[in-house]
Amino acid sequence: MVSFMEVIDRALKGPFCSEKDFDLKVFVPRLKEVIKKYEIKCDPKNPIPSDNDLADRVFKAGVEFYTNVGTYCADTERIIRFTQEEIEEALVMAPSAPVFGEGKEAKALVARKPESDIPPWCFLGATGAIVSCGEIFLSLIQGYGLIPLANSITTPTIATLNGIPIRAGSPLEVMSAIETVTLAREGLRRVGRPGLPIMNSISVGSAAAKIAGSQFGLRPSDGWLIGSMAEMKINFERLNEIAYVLSLGGRVVAETSPMLGGYCGGPEGVAVTNAAYHIQSILVYRGACQDSFPIHSKYSCSTGRNTLWAISVSNQAISRNSHFPLFTIPIIAAGPMTEMNFYETASQVITCIVSGGSIEAGSAAKNVLIDHITPMEPLWASEVAHAVIGMKRTEANEIVNRLLPKYENNLDNPPKGKKYQECYDIKTLEPSSECIELYRRTKKEFAGYGLKFKY
Amino acid sequence: MKKEEIFEDLLRAVVDLDEEKGIRAGTKLIEEKIDPIEGIEKGLSKGMKVIGEMFNNSEIYLPEMIMAADVFDSVMEILKPHISAEGLDKVKRGTVVIGTVKGDIHAIGKDIVGMLLETAGFTVHNLGVGVATSTFIEEARKVKADIIGLSSLLTTTMPTQKDVIDILKEMGERDKYTILIGGAPTSQDWADEIGADGYGETAERAVSLALELVAKKSIA
Repeated sequence: MVSFMEVIDRALKGPFCSEKDFDLKVFVPRLKEVIKKYEIKCDPKNPIPSDNDLADRVFKAGVEFYTNVGTYCADTERIIRFTQEEIEEALVMAPSAPVFGEGKEAKALVARKPESDIPPWCFLGATGAIVSCGEIFLSLIQGYGLIPLANSITTPTIATLNGIPIRAGSPLEVMSAIETVTLAREGLRRVGRPGLPIMNSISVGSAAAKIAGSQFGLRPSDGWLIGSMAEMKINFERLNEIAYVLSLGGRVVAETSPMLGGYCGGPEGVAVTNAAYHIQSILVYRGACQDSFPIHSKYSCSTGRNTLWAISVSNQAISRNSHFPLFTIPIIAAGPMTEMNFYETASQVITCIVSGGSIEAGSAAKNVLIDHITPMEPLWASEVAHAVIGMKRTEANEIVNRLLPKYENNLDNPPKGKKYQECYDIKTLEPSSECIELYRRTKKEFAGYGLKFKY
Repeated sequence: MKKEEIFEDLLRAVVDLDEEKGIRAGTKLIEEKIDPIEGIEKGLSKGMKVIGEMFNNSEIYLPEMIMAADVFDSVMEILKPHISAEGLDKVKRGTVVIGTVKGDIHAIGKDIVGMLLETAGFTVHNLGVGVATSTFIEEARKVKADIIGLSSLLTTTMPTQKDVIDILKEMGERDKYTILIGGAPTSQDWADEIGADGYGETAERAVSLALELVAKKSIA
């Protein structure tokens, strides 16, 4: 496979292009060309299609698109491009079963296929949402560690340190990164799962913050989440992070986020771009897996009908044509402990799992309201994920079509839900009786839809 | 050719993203000695309004909005030499300087807001991402901005929105500009706390807010 040094060289010597020209004269027209050539058309009535040929055409379109477009390096204003042969080689040589975690928690992350019997990997927690202080953070981490089906956790972000708001690029960010890692390790130790991998820690921090985190408990066996710049871009800061993690022997979790309504255009463009991001994740971000969250620009969530279609089709495209593991991150509009959150979470988790992926789940309130997350949402996501293992796409499509009308008209004005401290006793980690009642009622309803819960 | 037909061609050129048609219609308008301001108001601007509505209805997306704005700008290059400075001021709603604050490299949401502001008739100076506080202020002075739009997609870059407002206050220039903030983690509460004039929860809301605030300021 093309080496990382060669990627750096291409970032320094590739074709020169202004960023605006890359967006409008390279990315947009090449994307439109392949959508037309491969006859890719969204069918919103069927958010989970069962069309293998469509999935394979989306993958071919993604490969051709990425061959023609490449990844733009914002610092050098040059394009990192690969030949089709290099891409094909990368798909063969990409990691297929990276191991995350330590001790009894160490486990191989295995790629799945549509309708697969292989259990999904449940990467659970806050998906980067914000909490007000370390006390809430530590309590939530313990809650995540107690979820029986958790294979790894995704931590929150702490908003303040000693009451001072954290600032990007400042010493506060480095100190916050250290605090995040220290508290996450402590929380997992307290619930008897010290080896459980943290797979998103310091996801938005600088390279300096990541390096600081590694000195205070972040391990090579954790996931080192590095986000791609939208669309199809990278910069020196990201390349620095990759250089460090690779030298450490760590595993990069390559995060990608094609935006519906942005330069990708509609759902067809999001599906093809997500497939192209899969290749970028292997070659440029040197990932151990791809972790993607296609998102709608208008609703800032991923549970609308068209976004679900794009997720399903691209998950099927990727999982049918690559052994490089894939996660999808549901971004949920409704806040915690609302019926709508349960419906949205289930819709997206079902879509991801039967389409061949695994999940990074637990999102609420679009990840923007402070303390609006609880361990209940990731618990629910993991139970739904395991309840649809082996389910046919046609059956899943019917279920999601029953769920969508329950919430899709409220995506632009979803209920905010409640703060963690209003739903749980943060010391005993016990949910309120109201929360337990909502969970039990919803689980019973979903059993009626044909979901086979493990317990 | 009747002037209504030329206005319709200008409108269609923007909506159909047809630059050549726009240039032909713009040239014809000048040849026929029709008031260019009327051509802008009844043709180009109407077309941009349609484009904004189409985006809001998810019929088109960001690339098409940018292409429509490029058609608008190409035709404006033909019309501008025939319009007085006062006339140009008349057809513009106001001038906006917009960017993502320092430390933050998220571009697309801010680009969508910038384009929707253009469709609503504002002149938009998009400064890009990771914009230094001093650059916002210098650019706002240079282009005599009515509005400064500050985008932040990270909780760790939200304090930089406050920096811009605080420094403008220190310089005694805060009241010269209407300041709007946006970005996923921001909120009305945050806007109130830092003394911004408004918060756009969505791109559409940012535009309606900009129109409201500029109208209020011109009455005051």
